[in-house]
Amino acid sequence: MPTVTMTVNGKKVSGEVEARTLLVQFLRENLHLTGTHVGCDTSQCGACVVHINGDSAKSCSMLAVQAEGTEVTTIEGLANGDELHPMQAAFKEHHGLQCGFCTPGMVMSAVDLVKKKPKASEHEIREWLEGNICRCTGYHNIVKAIQHAQQTM
Amino acid sequence: MAVGAYTRPTRLPDALAALRDGPCTVLAGGTDHFPARVTSTPDEAILDITALPELRGIRRLSDGGLTIGACATWSAVIAADLPSACDGLKAAAREVGGVQIQNRGTVGGNLCNASPAADGVPPLLSLDAEVELTSLDGVRRLPLDGFVLGNRRTTRRPDELLTAIRIPPAALDGTGRFLKLGARRYLVISIVMVAGTLVRAADDTIASARLAVGACSAAALRLRELEAALVGRPLAEAAATVTAQHLAGLAPIDDVRADGEYRCEAAAVLVRRCLADLAAA
Repeated sequence: MPTVTMTVNGKKVSGEVEARTLLVQFLRENLHLTGTHVGCDTSQCGACVVHINGDSAKSCSMLAVQAEGTEVTTIEGLANGDELHPMQAAFKEHHGLQCGFCTPGMVMSAVDLVKKKPKASEHEIREWLEGNICRCTGYHNIVKAIQHAQQTM
Repeated sequence: MAVGAYTRPTRLPDALAALRDGPCTVLAGGTDHFPARVTSTPDEAILDITALPELRGIRRLSDGGLTIGACATWSAVIAADLPSACDGLKAAAREVGGVQIQNRGTVGGNLCNASPAADGVPPLLSLDAEVELTSLDGVRRLPLDGFVLGNRRTTRRPDELLTAIRIPPAALDGTGRFLKLGARRYLVISIVMVAGTLVRAADDTIASARLAVGACSAAALRLRELEAALVGRPLAEAAATVTAQHLAGLAPIDDVRADGEYRCEAAAVLVRRCLADLAAA
């Protein structure tokens, strides 16, 4: 079995994985970072979004070995100790979640958006979120939360 | 490669040797690959080409043409500084899934996956693109028109790797457009796509135009008769030049997304809209 080494949330990790192991399986099952969710398994819903070298990607659609040598950030890597990341705080403040299943992916996508397009309009925010599906259809407050985080991030 | 083997070479010759060694599935962005295998455990051998740096990058060539590495992502296409003839290609790049899919999915994968609804094919056809196929025997270049034979079928030999897409300098003049119709606005598989490029002459007539329609035949189709009819016509009459005969080569299927009759009607509307838009640019 190949050995894979990457930096996850600032910590160097390595493990032996079967080559066909998806990145999301490695994160959840080997590293026990279960904040990254699997919704559809078919690259559509976005519950599994993480950052690879600073760009958002769907961890159900890449192999763990394809992340070799990269910097991976998951939802667990956003907060600073007990202090929520400004995007997490905004989701809490503006009730940007209902059941919470899509939330880790939503937050990870949203953080990438604010870094890439800090002044995104409401329309651009909604466009950016096209690959993140909320099964509760709670988009209104998700967009509000992101607009708030544009001020605080 | 052995059944069930996985390899991720860092040198192109090693990848070509693996292809020569036996049948294997080529994996790049994986955005079509993994969703198709969720409930199955295939024992196919996998050649992962994501660690080959020479397959990335988009750059102008000394002859003025453009080369797009087969593993260039759609996000790289969007970010690249390209002439306005590539506006249609950039617009299509924004329609390939959402941002995260654009960050991983590759131009070469979109072509080799050979879906009739691949968003990348019509704009590249409208740019007269060629594919560069590399094997241990050398490199051959083929027009993209003819490379995709039909659903999941291309003329790539099993021992060849698609290494780059080339756009000749003459195709980089003028302006490009891409229009897509889906059942909803976002994250949708196309019912019809139209891509076009148009070069205007000094007297406000059409010097040249290239048009391609996707998702209305087994492989996306260039509308060569229409292209010939447009040459020399006044820009203002571009859209009105389109006749039913020009679209006669389309052979859309009936499926869950739309029936063939609707696709034909929508294709005619989108071709006219694309031309009107190009003429006004």
